[in-house]
Amino acid sequence: MLRFVGKRLWHGGLTLAALVTLTFFVMRLAPGGPFSRNRKISPEVQANIEAAFHLDEPLWMQFGRFVWGVLRLDLGPSTRHRDYSVNDLIASGLPYSLTIGLWAVVIATLVGVALGLAGALRRNSATDYLAGLVGVIGIAIPIFVIGPVLQATFALRLDWLPVGGIGEGWRSLILPVIVLALPNIAYISRLTRTSMIETLRENHVRTARAKGIGWRRVLWRHTLTGTLLPVIAYLGPATAAIITGSILIETIFAVPGIGRHFVDAALNRDYPLVMGITLLYGAILILLNIATDVIRAILDPRIRNER
Amino acid sequence: MSADVAPAPGVSTLRLQARRFRRNRLAMASVVVLALIVALCFLGPYAFPFTGEDADFDNISAPARLTWPHLFGTDDFGRDLLVRVLEGGQVSLTIGFLGALVAGVIGVLYGAVAGYAGGRTDGVMMRLVEVLYGFPYVILVILLSLLFGGGNVALFAAIVFTLWLTPAVIVRAQAQSLAQKEFVQAARAGGMTGPAIVVQHIVPNCVSTVIVYGSLLVPEVILSESFLSFLGIGIREPQASWGNLIQAGTAAMGSDLRLLLLPGGLLALVLLCLNFIADGLRDAFDPNDR
Amino acid sequence: MTGSLLSIRDLGVRFRLPQGEAVAVDGVSLDLAAGEVLGIVGESGSGKSQILYAMMGLLAANGRATGQVLFEGQDLLALPPDRLDRVRGDRLSMIFQDPMTSLNPYMRVGDQLAEGLIVHKGLSRTEARAEAVRMLDRVRIPDAAARARRYPHEFSGGMRQRVMIAMALLARPKLLLADEPTTALDVTIQAQVLDLMAELGRETGTAIILVTHDLGVVARLCDRVAVLYGGRVMEEAPAETLFDTPAHPYTRGLLAAMPRLETALTPRLGTIPGTPRSGGTVTGCPFVDRCEARLPVCSTDRPPLRDLTPGHRAACHLTGAAP
Repeated sequence: MLRFVGKRLWHGGLTLAALVTLTFFVMRLAPGGPFSRNRKISPEVQANIEAAFHLDEPLWMQFGRFVWGVLRLDLGPSTRHRDYSVNDLIASGLPYSLTIGLWAVVIATLVGVALGLAGALRRNSATDYLAGLVGVIGIAIPIFVIGPVLQATFALRLDWLPVGGIGEGWRSLILPVIVLALPNIAYISRLTRTSMIETLRENHVRTARAKGIGWRRVLWRHTLTGTLLPVIAYLGPATAAIITGSILIETIFAVPGIGRHFVDAALNRDYPLVMGITLLYGAILILLNIATDVIRAILDPRIRNER
Repeated sequence: MSADVAPAPGVSTLRLQARRFRRNRLAMASVVVLALIVALCFLGPYAFPFTGEDADFDNISAPARLTWPHLFGTDDFGRDLLVRVLEGGQVSLTIGFLGALVAGVIGVLYGAVAGYAGGRTDGVMMRLVEVLYGFPYVILVILLSLLFGGGNVALFAAIVFTLWLTPAVIVRAQAQSLAQKEFVQAARAGGMTGPAIVVQHIVPNCVSTVIVYGSLLVPEVILSESFLSFLGIGIREPQASWGNLIQAGTAAMGSDLRLLLLPGGLLALVLLCLNFIADGLRDAFDPNDR
Repeated sequence: MTGSLLSIRDLGVRFRLPQGEAVAVDGVSLDLAAGEVLGIVGESGSGKSQILYAMMGLLAANGRATGQVLFEGQDLLALPPDRLDRVRGDRLSMIFQDPMTSLNPYMRVGDQLAEGLIVHKGLSRTEARAEAVRMLDRVRIPDAAARARRYPHEFSGGMRQRVMIAMALLARPKLLLADEPTTALDVTIQAQVLDLMAELGRETGTAIILVTHDLGVVARLCDRVAVLYGGRVMEEAPAETLFDTPAHPYTRGLLAAMPRLETALTPRLGTIPGTPRSGGTVTGCPFVDRCEARLPVCSTDRPPLRDLTPGHRAACHLTGAAP
C-alpha cells in the first residue's frame, strides 16, 4: 500500500510539474502583459515596474526564479494587487473557497447517494421519479442559470437569504453551497442508481440472499461496497467539477475566494497569482485523486493486489 | 482484397438500432424540440426588420408585452431581446455541434491509432492524455483561450483542445480489442497498411460508441462556451451568445428577470434535449446497459 | 418413502416477458426423504434450475411460482420473507453454478462463512469464525485458518466451489440444493468436488437435490432421478431402474447420447433430432416434435405421469398403452 501511494504521489508530482510549466509558458506567450493596460505611463516608469517584477529578464531566468520560489513556498508578489503577495491573497481567499467547496461535496455525496439508493431500491416509485427529475435538472440547467434564478427568488423577492457576499455567516453560504452541489447531486445519484441496480443483479448478492441473513443485512454488507466503488471513483473528477463550479459561484455570489481571483488574474495577466492558484488547484486535484484511489484500494482487495 | 472482410456494423444492425431509437418517445420528442429550436434560431431573425445589434432608441428597456415588433421587449440599449437570444443561439449551437464534431474526430483518430498501434506508441500517446487529464479543466480552457488571443476562434480551439480526451480514451479501449480480432489480422496478413486498417476497419467498427459519446460531447461544448462567455472570456459584446446574454441578464435581474430567463431557459431546454437524445442513443445502441 | 422431508406439489414457474408469458416449470411434483439424493436431469432450458430458485425464493423479479413446496411441513412458497429467511441458509441451503462470481469479492472468505452462523445459530463472531475454519478444513482447503482471512479472488475455481460447499453445509442443513455445481469447473476436478459434496452430505445426513445435465454424475451419486423436459417431469425412477429400463423415449434418447466405457468402440453417439421448443403452454406432450415413436394422440393429449412399477413413473402414451 505504501509503495502504491508513493508511486501515485510521484506520478502526481510529474503531472503537477507539467501543469505548472505549461501554464507558465502559455501565460507568457499569450498576448498582453500585466502593465500593458495602464494608459499613461512613460516608458521609463513601465521599465522600472517591469524590472521590479523581473519581467525584463529572459524567460528561462523568470522560470527559474519561479521554481525557486515554489520550492521555498514563496509565490512572489501580485502584479495587480499592489502590496499583496500571492501567498496573502491565497490565504485570504482559500478559506471561503474551501468552506463552500467542502460543504458542496459533502451534501452532494450524501444527498446523491441517498437519492440513488432510494431510486434503485424502489424503481419506478415516486422517489425514483423525483430523483430522476433532480438528476435531469442538475445536469441540464447550468450553475450560472440556476444560481441567479435562486438569487432572484430567495434573496430579491422573498428576502430570506442574502444575495451574495460573506457578511451573514452561514446564511451567506446556503445558496452558493446548494447551487454548487446541485450538478454533483445529479451525477452522483444517477451513478449510484445504476451501480446499485447492477450490483443487485450480481451472483454474490444472490448467494447472500440464499444465506437467509435478512434483506437489511444483504443490502448493508453485500451490496454497499460494490455500489459505492464507482461513486468513490467519481469523487476525484467531481472535485474538478467543484473547482470549475466554484469559479462561477464566486462570481455569481460575489464571494472573495480564489476562484474569482483566478479569473481576474488571468484576464489582467497577473502572472504570479495565476501561477500560484494553478499550482494550488492542481495539487488539490491530484491529492484528491490519490485519496480516492487509496479508499478504493482499501475497499476492494482486488485493486489492492493489482499493484 | 481486404476491404470487404470487415464485419462492419451491417445495415440491418444500424436499422435495428435506429428503430429502437425511434421507439424512445422522450428521445424522439427531444429531437423534434431541438430541431424546432435550431430552425427558430437560424431562420427566426429574418422575420424581424432589424438585427440583434440594432438599437431602437424609442424603445429602451421595453418590457415583454408580446406586441410587434419587440415581442419580448428590449435591453437597456434598445436592442430586441428575442432576436438577440436567437442570434446568440446561432453562435452557441454552431460552436456546440462543430466543436463536438472536431473534438470527436480528433479523439477517435487519436484513440484508434493508439489502440491499434499498441506497445510503446500507445504508452506514449496515452501518457500524454493522462497528463492532460490531470489538469484542472477550467485552468486549461481559460489559459488556452487567452493564448489564442481571445475571440471566437480562440474559444473554439480551447474548447476542442480540452474535450477530445474522453472520446480518445474510449475509442482506444475498443480499438485495442478490435486489433486482436480475426478480420483485422486477416487484413494485416493481406498486406494492408496500418493507416488503411485504422481508417477502414478500426474506425467504422467504433461507430456506435462514437455516436453515443459524440452526442454527449455536444452539450458539453455548449456548456463550456456559455460558461466562458458568462465569465467574460468567450464571446464578447456586441456579438450575442447565450453565455454573455445570461451574464447581462444576471446583472439586470434585480429589476427584470426576463433578460435572464429567456436565454437561460432556452439554453437549459437545449441541454435537456441533448441529454435525452444521448440517453436514447445509448439505450438504442447498447440495450444491455440498463 | 416414509417421513417425507420435501414434497413438491404441482409447482409452476412463469416469467412475464415483453412478448408474453413464458412457462419454465409446469406442474412438477416430487418427493424427497431425509438423507436421499435426488438428481434432476434435463437439457438447458428445461426449467430444472428454476425449480431450485423457486424453492429458495430467488426467482428473478419477473418470475412467479405457483403450487406448493412443503419442506418439513411448511409451504415455502407461502412464507413471508422474514420466515423464509429463517429456513434458507439454515435447514435449507444452496450451491450455485458459477463459483467465480458467487462469492462476495469484498469480504474475507471466513467472514462470509461465519455470517450465516452468527445470524441463524446466534454464535459469537469468534465462535463462528472457528467453526468456519473447521468446515474449510473439512472441504480440504489447505491451511484453512490462514485461508479464511483471504479474499475470494485469491482462490482457484475449484477451491471457491469447495468454499461454497462449506458455506452451504456449515449450518448442517436438512436439504442441500446444488445447481450444476461443477459445470464451471475444470473437468479434472469436477469429480473430486462432487464426491466431496456427496460424502459430506452423507456424514451430516443431508438430503441433496442435484440439478445437472450430466447423466454420468447422476449414475454415480444419486439414489433417484427425475428427467425434466419442457418444464415437466417425463420420467422418475430409482437411478438403477432408470439406467436399466428407461421407459420414456426422451430418457432413452438421453442415455443413447451418453458415452460409456463398454460402448467406446461404437462409431458414434446417439443424438436426439431437433431442438427443444420454447415458451408457451403445450396441449400435448412437450417432446412430441422430436419423438421418433409419436402417436397422433401425443400432440393433442397431455400424457399423465403413471406408475409403471412402484417408484418408477413415466409420462408417455406409449408406456401407458402397452405396459
